[in-house]
Amino acid sequence: MNILTFIAKNALRNRRRVILTVSSVAVSCGVLVTLQTLQRELTIPPESEAASLRVIARNKVSIAQPLPARQLGVIERIPGIVAVSPFTYFGGLYAEEKATGFAQFGVDPERFRGIMVEGRVVQGAYDDWVADRNSCMVGADTLDRYKLRVGDHMRFTGTFYPMDLDLRIAAVFQGTVDDRGVFFHHKLLDDAMDNGGAVGTWYMRVESAAVAPQVIAAIDRAFENSSAEVRAETERAFQMSFMSMLGDVKSLTLSVSSVVVFTLMLVTVSTMSMAIRERFRELAVLKALGFRRHELFSFILAESFGLAGAGAVLGIFGTWIFWSTVNLQKLTAGFLVYFEVTPRIMAMAGIVAAVLGIVSAMGPALAVARMSVVDGLKTID
Amino acid sequence: MAAEPIVQVRELSKIYRQGDLDVVALNGVSIDIFPREFVALMGPSGSGKSTLLHIVAGIDRATRGTVLVQGIDVAGLNESQLAEWRNQNVGFVFQTFNLIPVLTARENVELPLLLTRLNGSERRRQVETALQLVGLADRMHHRPDQLSGGQQQRVAIARALVTDPALVVADEPTGNLDAKSAADVLSILQALSRDSGKTVIMVTHDPKAAAYGTRSLHLEKGEIVA
Repeated sequence: MNILTFIAKNALRNRRRVILTVSSVAVSCGVLVTLQTLQRELTIPPESEAASLRVIARNKVSIAQPLPARQLGVIERIPGIVAVSPFTYFGGLYAEEKATGFAQFGVDPERFRGIMVEGRVVQGAYDDWVADRNSCMVGADTLDRYKLRVGDHMRFTGTFYPMDLDLRIAAVFQGTVDDRGVFFHHKLLDDAMDNGGAVGTWYMRVESAAVAPQVIAAIDRAFENSSAEVRAETERAFQMSFMSMLGDVKSLTLSVSSVVVFTLMLVTVSTMSMAIRERFRELAVLKALGFRRHELFSFILAESFGLAGAGAVLGIFGTWIFWSTVNLQKLTAGFLVYFEVTPRIMAMAGIVAAVLGIVSAMGPALAVARMSVVDGLKTID
Repeated sequence: MAAEPIVQVRELSKIYRQGDLDVVALNGVSIDIFPREFVALMGPSGSGKSTLLHIVAGIDRATRGTVLVQGIDVAGLNESQLAEWRNQNVGFVFQTFNLIPVLTARENVELPLLLTRLNGSERRRQVETALQLVGLADRMHHRPDQLSGGQQQRVAIARALVTDPALVVADEPTGNLDAKSAADVLSILQALSRDSGKTVIMVTHDPKAAAYGTRSLHLEKGEIVA
């Protein structure tokens, strides 16, 4: 026998309690990892190199306010802009759905070619989409999810716009950070609304990330004091403003995470207190046999740390495996796409569990350090 | 009997504070105990015999007086030094055996050796020797709940002996045993002082148990009376 065997035998002496404690820590760590992953998913939009070159301009008053189509000519002349297209959110419901998990945008297909450069057409043909104003280009994820094929029709019921869309799938794209969207000819919106002079937003690609700030400033300045002032921002900033509409996700997940951590602390502290209180007499005997305070402290710490660590490993890696195998995009109708349990989140949960393991050992360890051998031997088992 | 005492107790007093009251457990006790002696400390409950044993063994502190064990002033050692001193010089036998229930007999006996620099095979050899000495070599892989009370106490004696201490202290070692097991345990303790050169100090209420010793000391109200 060595010291580690001794610690392990002590830690595992009450199997039921060990199982319950490790399970509690595992579940708490799992919940913590899940909450942090959810927060990440909802607050940090996916990034790509191409996205850093894209800029979106919307009405300064509100995103719901349209912009005049005549702004196109002014924007095109701003130095640093490589391509620009109208970009209008349709917000339709697909088929009979009550909630649709992918967005539809009206764009100018020819201009759009120069903006979404990271995507590639994997089925059908881009030119087919350009040529047919009643067709659309669909993300591969959406195509797979609804088991559609090129040539099939997608029907959308308008919610913002008093019109419906019936679009033939002409092309399928893949390779963007979000392969779910549906893009169609902006002309359909123009014709249906009988106001070819309005767009939702302007979608642009700039020469380089370095010139993006100047381009944004130039766009804002170009329409200052006009009837439709704009607010230009990077694609990332634009997405973040959408996320903020979900509410203060960070505060919410932080609150729930704090409750989880607090509960986890109560579980480990009470378990360790009970486990050590039951063994006060034995610890007094160990002291009599010559074990010193710091050695007993190490035993208690190792036991507490071991239980918390075992729970953390189970909970964190179990959660990672679980979310890696579950098709969350399908389960949430596309609301959650990546739900990636990152090493950073796993490390954070591991550190929380380790700190709790140490904290929960403190009370019992101090009690044992203060205990005299004689008082400990008087303890009733 | 050697001329130099292994334990020298001088004017030893111990006063406990209980609420507003001072309770005198020991009052100016002075004794000498010599190597190879088997001393029985007797007296009624509350007479201070266990307190005296605890102070001599270094698990309690006196209020006044001195205790020298093998010439070392036990009161002068700090907590850490005292723990190391106990490990090397004192073997403990308790009334309730106090074995660790999740460890086998061999592992229980090995516990004090974990604090030494002995390697695994050296520890194993010493443990087996100690268990053979108490007649339990064939029970070394049994856990305490698989042993009788008498066997458990013999394992506890093996644990007390395994570091080869000069002094073995036993607090009511037969208090929880039947007559046969008690006789076995007392015979072992007797043999330790007689054959192995250990000094044994035993607290007991039982005159029959005390009869195994070479000397009896009687305490009443914290003082040696005989």
